[in-house]
Amino acid sequence: MELGVVYIGDRSTGKTHLAMELANPNNEYVKVTSLDYENLKQQLYDHTTGEFRATGAEQATYDRYLDILVRLPTGNRQVIVDWIDTPGEVWRKTWQSDNPNEWNRLLDTVRQSEGILLIIPPHRGLNFKQGISLDQFMTQQQWCNRFDRWVDFFRQDCPKARHIVICLNKADLFCDLQQEAFQLAYKPNGSQLNWQQRHAYVLSRYFRPVQSQLKQINKSVSGLSVRCFITSIYNRSLLELPWIYLGSFLAK
Amino acid sequence: MGNIRVIGPRSSGKTTYLAALAYQPEQTKRGGRAKNYTIQALNDETRELAAKAENIIVEGDSLEPTGLQYRTIDELPFYSFNIDVNFILGKREGINLAIRDYPGEIFDELELGLANSLYQEFIDECLMKDVVGCLILLTEWKKGTDKSYSRVLERFTELMDSHDRANDLRLAVAMSKCERGELWPGRLDPEVDLFDVHLPKTKATLRAKIPAKNLRFYAISTFGVLRRNDPRPNRVDEMGTDGRNSVLREARRWKPYGMIAPLYWLSTGKRMKDDA
Repeated sequence: MELGVVYIGDRSTGKTHLAMELANPNNEYVKVTSLDYENLKQQLYDHTTGEFRATGAEQATYDRYLDILVRLPTGNRQVIVDWIDTPGEVWRKTWQSDNPNEWNRLLDTVRQSEGILLIIPPHRGLNFKQGISLDQFMTQQQWCNRFDRWVDFFRQDCPKARHIVICLNKADLFCDLQQEAFQLAYKPNGSQLNWQQRHAYVLSRYFRPVQSQLKQINKSVSGLSVRCFITSIYNRSLLELPWIYLGSFLAK
Repeated sequence: MGNIRVIGPRSSGKTTYLAALAYQPEQTKRGGRAKNYTIQALNDETRELAAKAENIIVEGDSLEPTGLQYRTIDELPFYSFNIDVNFILGKREGINLAIRDYPGEIFDELELGLANSLYQEFIDECLMKDVVGCLILLTEWKKGTDKSYSRVLERFTELMDSHDRANDLRLAVAMSKCERGELWPGRLDPEVDLFDVHLPKTKATLRAKIPAKNLRFYAISTFGVLRRNDPRPNRVDEMGTDGRNSVLREARRWKPYGMIAPLYWLSTGKRMKDDA
């Protein structure tokens, strides 16, 4: 089995779409060579509803072989991993207690994976663009409470996680993508910010409410420090960042 | 070829030290004072480590612990370097080094007494006859650490004895991460200003067990400080990791301190003028 990178997160946070968009041929420094974007889109898109299908919970994990070229400071490097998608449904307590065997298998998969990408949705405390209905999002308090449970998950269920990446997704709804991408963008020949500085930048702007929770994760997980990102399928630079980060460690 | 082992507790900076050695941050910069040594990576693993330094450390992150992903000693990375040291009057000396990087768990296990057969294997390999010396990196000095280091090293000296290496294995004992403000001023005379002050028991244990000619104390700073007249550490400690993960603050000012002298001594038994 290849090294695995697993996407986790609640329903409708955009895990599958985010991963799929990585295969978009309009890329910058991350190029997926093993998957065909159009083909993948066909598989995941529901033409009757005009939306992407929810990833079904009849299976706890969906594995796809991912062969990626990442342009690192030392040049193009190959990263071969299994992209492991999980349906949001499995992160509900009821599903876990109804399907104990599948849940345990999933936990094993997560524990064995090289990297964990937690995709989280926006909350009402963010500065939304005009015309966006807040009703579809959790309040900041609910969001923090949910985050506490992710902290428990990392501490109890994967204390040996090697790389935890947290992506606050759908950033197009609450920030100026161009401007943030300009600040955060990666350039193989010298970026404006390094990984620690990017993390600090994102942390101070978008993860303030869960700062102490992030500290707890860092304290109790033996791998490297958690890295926070903002992501959107509408901005390639932001979309690629978590993978360039992971690629630095997983490159062959 | 001098076979050297690097041991030390978890997060004492062993792999980062070797990565800096492989990458040579100062060699990659233009200008600056010429150093009195040059280093060449001799095998793929060492070149790979240099790439990691460039892709990860220079980019503001930390290397992964050399942890338990290794199941046998043969899987452990083996780094090979050629170091050319230039002396005054144009004299040069080249040394070849083969260095094995051990996971910190081994050091920690020593205190508890090597229950695991894998650790036993590590130690057997570490004390083989063709190993000329060990670089021991120590990093803490908070309450209780001196006692624990001293117990671990006492145990190590017993193992040296049982492997018939008590009198012919050099130990370079170094305080790592000396860019830290409390340590930096003590780097010039580490035995007195770092070990006597922070780890007296550890030092006494080693002095009692190891022949004086085979024991030296060093100060190493892989990240260094920002500038000669601005000795702030060139590192940032990460939130909530209790100092376990620190990253380089300014890559373009990356100037390690004290990297070569211990290796040169381990390999040749001769002292080298400070290599900062």
